[in-house]
Parts: sequence; structure tokens; C-alpha cells
Amino acid sequence: MNNLLKLVQRCLQVLLFVAVMSGCMFITARPDEKHLYRASVLKSNLLVQTPSPRIILFGGSNIAFGIDSGLMERSLAMPVINDGLHVGLGVAPLIELKKYVRSGDIIIISLEYYNFTDEAAFYGQPQYLADWIEFSPNRIWDVHQPLRQMPSIYTIMLQRKINRQVNYYLYGLSLDEGRGFYTGDKFNERGDFIGHLGEGNNNQFEIPNSVYPVNNMDEAYAFLEEFNQFALSKGATVFYEAQAHRQTNCDITGMKNLRNFFSRLRNKTTIPLLTDLGDLCLPDNLFYDTPYHLNEQGRQIRTERLIDNLKFALGIQ
Amino acid sequence: MLFNSFNFLIFFPIVTTLYFMLPHRFRWALLLGASCYFYMVFIPKYILILFVTISVDYFAGIGIEAAQGRRRRWLLGASILANVGMLAFFKYFNFANENISALAAFIGWNYPIGNLEIILPIGLSFHTFQSLSYTIEVYRGNQAAERHFGYLALYVLFYPQLVAGPIERPQNILHQLHEEHHFEYQRVADGLKWMAWGMFKKVVIADRMALFANPVYDSPTEFQGPALVVATLAFAVQIYCDFSGYSDIAFGSAQVMGIRLMKNFNHPYFAKSISEFWQRWHISLSTWFRDYVYIRLGGNRSSPPRWAFNLFLTFLISGLWHGANWTFIIWGALHGIYAVFGGIFANARDRYGVTGKSPLHGNLQRGLSVLSTFLIVCFAWVFFRATSLPDAWYVVGHLFSGWGDFLAQSYLLMQDGFGNGFWALNDAVFNSMLLLTSVSRGELTLTMLAFFCFLIIEVKQERGNFMEELRVYKPYVRMAYYAILVTAILVLGTSYTGVQQAFIYFQF
Repeated sequence: MNNLLKLVQRCLQVLLFVAVMSGCMFITARPDEKHLYRASVLKSNLLVQTPSPRIILFGGSNIAFGIDSGLMERSLAMPVINDGLHVGLGVAPLIELKKYVRSGDIIIISLEYYNFTDEAAFYGQPQYLADWIEFSPNRIWDVHQPLRQMPSIYTIMLQRKINRQVNYYLYGLSLDEGRGFYTGDKFNERGDFIGHLGEGNNNQFEIPNSVYPVNNMDEAYAFLEEFNQFALSKGATVFYEAQAHRQTNCDITGMKNLRNFFSRLRNKTTIPLLTDLGDLCLPDNLFYDTPYHLNEQGRQIRTERLIDNLKFALGIQ
Repeated sequence: MLFNSFNFLIFFPIVTTLYFMLPHRFRWALLLGASCYFYMVFIPKYILILFVTISVDYFAGIGIEAAQGRRRRWLLGASILANVGMLAFFKYFNFANENISALAAFIGWNYPIGNLEIILPIGLSFHTFQSLSYTIEVYRGNQAAERHFGYLALYVLFYPQLVAGPIERPQNILHQLHEEHHFEYQRVADGLKWMAWGMFKKVVIADRMALFANPVYDSPTEFQGPALVVATLAFAVQIYCDFSGYSDIAFGSAQVMGIRLMKNFNHPYFAKSISEFWQRWHISLSTWFRDYVYIRLGGNRSSPPRWAFNLFLTFLISGLWHGANWTFIIWGALHGIYAVFGGIFANARDRYGVTGKSPLHGNLQRGLSVLSTFLIVCFAWVFFRATSLPDAWYVVGHLFSGWGDFLAQSYLLMQDGFGNGFWALNDAVFNSMLLLTSVSRGELTLTMLAFFCFLIIEVKQERGNFMEELRVYKPYVRMAYYAILVTAILVLGTSYTGVQQAFIYFQF
């Protein structure tokens, strides 16, 4: 028994050392000031402060790049919040959004097709969730299965902090996320990303002709329907809008597959679809750097189309 | 279940605590249940395959012990057929079928059999060999047949070594499973230290090296010589730390419960020849092949050509054991060639001073032997790591290309760096290195830091028992060492990339 106590004591002493060292690193390491997810703080503040009724657009970067919230606000005479940020976060910000849903709100969900590829893509990938939580620690409770994910998310967060600090202090760099110009300081007051505006249609990027798998994830549809029922119980309305998608990539993915996706969405949820199935894809020249990031002209066209569809759905003249 | 997962962090203390709390007569059931759970976390239904082979071996073992004459042979044959048949079906059917199909197409035959949609059960090659060694040893009279089905099942399924070895012999393990093991502070503490060291090797060194090796080997045709060489060297370190790290965790977790597994690695990259390398690398497999294949074929008690054939064939089978792919077969063949030539020239080496008896005896000679052995082992790793033969040929064919451009760019960078202070030189060195890899400067710095720490400890371990040496230090120094080790596992791991690296040998 004495030996067992001795072992437990030694293990605890080592773990205490570990906790102190890791804790010091954790606390002293600052988040990346230019990180894309810094914009999530702005978006959360908008959700708290903007009075209802309002329009909340939720999705990945297809929403951040592809919607002119100011134009929507002027056309629909309602405040608009662009809550789109990054595909890697999955529906975690949608779970966070639950806290802020109020009566009269109109929520438009426009997830990327990629989110429906597997569980991690739908609920958010831990390395992205770690960065997102770093900007607001309470968000740990907004991830799917928080207690189960907590150890890995905090470990990842610690490792990312250390990498960032080494890059920052030794070399004056930030942890390269490979997102280039897509940084947290280029969002307007409504949450729209505006870093790509003013460049007309001169695409400087070569957009990959890759397939975006569209899977049948019953769990995802069930989640969306549950969110819809929750919003309805709060007096809010939920719509679904197809993500912006480039024609070439639609052709590679297969129009039949895309239509099947929306057909399943209609069958398995009661969320009304705003997008006309004939408008699922947009011409190639309306895209900026990826097959789902619209350029300025594309953003204008998509927003006008969305305004028309929303007016029709809400019965507004 | 992966050792480097949070699930294992919960699983291990629970199982170990229950193990010491339970009366001895129930412990086998606990360990068997825990081992089944450990395995079933991957693909649950495949546990049935294991139980089929265990059942066959159970009855075969009892039958062999009771039988006389030819009947014993038949029973051993049945056991070998069941085990190897299972392995052949799951691991080699599609490979053989693809090759027959390609041959048929080449000579214009209509070959109608398509591939089967089967997934290789994790660790099948390991537990098949462990099962086989049981019936073979019973047949040879070195091991009494196990009458208790549970203990035999536990011998095959014992979770620390279930999916990637060490491939144990029944004489070493079965009696230990029967014995009662009490809680002993020093043994348990040492076991935990082995686990921590193994975890460091896997999570910090191997996974960090994967950041250098994987991007290159995933699409080698995009790279030239310098990057291919760096990726190959990184893979050499990765596979050693990955596999020996796993073995250390297995060794440590078994030791905590009082069961002593065989050591699977003995610092193989310090080997001075290929034969020594195989005495230090994956020892449980190389001794398995030595005892059950090489010696059975006649070993070295035969004519020189026959001896060379035996040695080459043993390595060829060893290559095939690793994977159903021509790349593994070539890897095995290369080691066979190395071993045969190493054997042939051993006498010449003795005479002309390439080994210890020569006038050139000394550190330089030892260093050159170690280096040359390491380099030819690395060359063979190209085939082991490449995902296809064309990729492997590309790497081999381009190992020496692109060096001119790289050296010219490095030279320009270094020109800027020299004479302008420490940070400018530091920048120049790092920028040169970043010509070879896509990782960030921070990742490179942390990897090098971790690697040098690892190298120091590895050298210390090669020279003596590092764990024993640690005991002479004051308790707080030891505690600081362990705390830094655990913190390094936590902080310097690579889960921040979002990719959890499985153990390489799980695929076998």
C-alpha cells in the first residue's frame, strides 16, 4: 500500500510540474492578431447587440465572401448579420448561434457541400475548433460532444500556440494557415469579408477543378431539422440557401448529385430551400480564388438573387 | 485502440487498477476482455477471425501433445494451414489476383476473377505469427499444450502486443500470464517510464518526421534529389521511432502488470553491418524468421550457394510478410542481397581491416561502418515507403538530380548570411533548409530541437542503461526530466495539424 501511495504521489508531482509548465505556456501565448477567426468575435458581438427581427446568414466562407449584407439590409429594411466564416468550423458556430436566436429572426443556412462529407467536416475539425475557441473560451461548450472533444481540442490549442509563438518570437511570422489574404482584419461592420473587393473580375488565382463530394449524411439532416425546430420554438424562421458553386466544379461533381443532395434535404428536413434548383451553379468568371468564393460581381448577383428569393418566400413585394 | 489516443489514456489506468485489485484467478478474464475491447475499437467483427484461429490452435496444440508419429505432423499442418490460409486470404488474395490478372491480360487470356472487397484486419500478420509459434513450439516439445482456452486466447490477444508485436514465443509469455504478479513500485515506475519514452518517440519524433517525409512520398514526382534525400532520411527516423516507440509502450504497459515482453529494438542505426542491423531491428520478427524459416531451410549448415539462397529467400518472405506489394518484396530482396554479400565479404573484411581486427581499428572505422550500413538501409527504405513501384523507381532515379540548383541557391543564401551577425546566418541556414521542405520555420526549429534531445538520449542508451543512470540523480532532477518528457509529448506533438498519425506497422 505504501508503494502504491508512493507511486501515486510521484505521478502527481510529475503531473503538477507538467501542469505548471503547460499552464504557463498556455496563458502567456497570445492569439494571432491577424487570424481569420478574430472576425468571429465581431460576429458574436453582432449577434448579441443587433436588435431583432434581423437576418442572420450562416455558413462557411462562401457566405463571408459571397454576400453583400448592406445591400440586403437596404432592400429588406432589416438588419443583416453575416455569420459565415470558415468551412472547417462545421456547424459549431450554428450551435453557438442557438444562444442568440430570438423571435422574428430569419436564419439562412448555407453550408458548404464539403461539410456533408463526414462527421468531422460537419461538426468541425478539431484544429480549426481549437483556434475558434481560443478567441472565446466559452465556445468549448458549443462544439459537438464537448466533454469528449475537450482533451484533444485543448492539446491542439496548446500545440498551435507554441508553434505560433516560436514562429512569432524567433522569426516574426504568424502560424501559416495557408489562407493568405483571408485574414481577420478584412471584415466590414456587418461581418462581410471585403478583402477581395475592388479587384473587379481580374481573377489572380488558378481555381482548382476538383470534385466536391456530396454525401448522404442522415445525421447532418437530423441535426439541421433539430435546429430548425429549435428556431421555430423561439419564433424564428430558418431557410436553406445553396452554397455558391462554380459551374466547372458543378459539372465535375455532377448536377445529378447536387440535385439529389437538395432532394434529400427536402425529404429529411422541413427547412424551406430558397435557391431555385436551376440556379445551383454560377458562371466561372464570377469566382475569385476558390470554386465557392465569389468575386465582387458574383457577390452582387448572388445577393440580388437571394433578396428576390427571400422576398418571395416571405411574401414581401 | 491507438496507444497515442485519449481513449488509451483512460483505458490503461482503469485496466491496470482493476488488474491489481482483482484476485489472481480472475485476472486472465479481465485482460482477455480488455484486450478484446482494445482490438474491437478498430473493426469489431474481425475479433471472430482471431477466435477461429485461436480455437484451431487450441485443439491442435492439445492434439499434437497427445498424438504420436505422423498424426502430430498432420495436426501441425492443419494449424499452419488455418493460420497462413487466413493471412493469405485477407492479405494476399487481391495482390495475387491482380498479378494473375495482369499476366493473363499480357498473354491474352480471359481471366474472370475480380478482386474481393475486403479490409485487412489490423495486426493480422503479427498475431498469425504469434499463433503459429505456439503450435510449432508445442510440436517441437518446447512448450506444453495450454489446457485453458482463456490463457491461450490471452497469449494471442494480450493487448500491449496485439496489433504490432513484439511477436512473442509461448515459452516466454504463457507462464508469465499464469503467474501472480504483485504491485512492485520500481517495476511499475520503470514500466511507466518506458511508456513515456515510447510515447515521446512516436508522438514527437516520428510524427514530426512524417511532416517531412509524407508530402514528398505522397507525390514524389514533384520533387528532386535534395528533397527526396531529406524525405528518405526523415522516413528512416520516422519508422524507427514509430515502431520502436510502439514497442516501448507495449513493453512498458506489460511491465506495469508484471509481464516482461522481449525487447524488439536495440538501437539498430548504430549497427556496423546488415547482419548486426537485423540483430537490432524488429528482433522478434527476425528471430522468428531465423528459427522457423531460415534454419528450417538448412540455415548456414549447407553449401555456400544453398546458404545464400536460404538467406535471400528468408528476407524475400520477410518483405512479403510486411505487405502485399512489389515494393515490399523488393525491400526484402534488397536486404537479402545486402545480407548475402555481407556474409560473403565478412572474411575479406576481417582480413583487410574493415572490422575490429584491422589496423584501422577505431572510432573512424566504426563510424564509417555505421554510416555505410545506415545509408544502404535508407536506400532500401525508399521501396518500403513508396506507395508504388513507379514512385520508388522515380525516387531512386532522382536521388542525385537537382543538387546543382539547390547548392547554388543555398550558396547565395549563405553569402547573405555570413558576416552579418548570428540572426542573418540563422536566417540563411533556415532558408536553405526550407528549400527542401514545406514545413514552417517554427515546425523546423521544434523538430530539430526535439530530434537532438532524442539523439542524445539514444546515444546514451546505446552506451549504457540510461534508466539506471538516471537513478543516481537527485529526485527533483529526475522528476524534472520526466515532467519535461511528458510536457514535450503534450506540447511538441503534431495533433495541431489535425491529422492523427496511426502507427506505421498497424497496416501489417
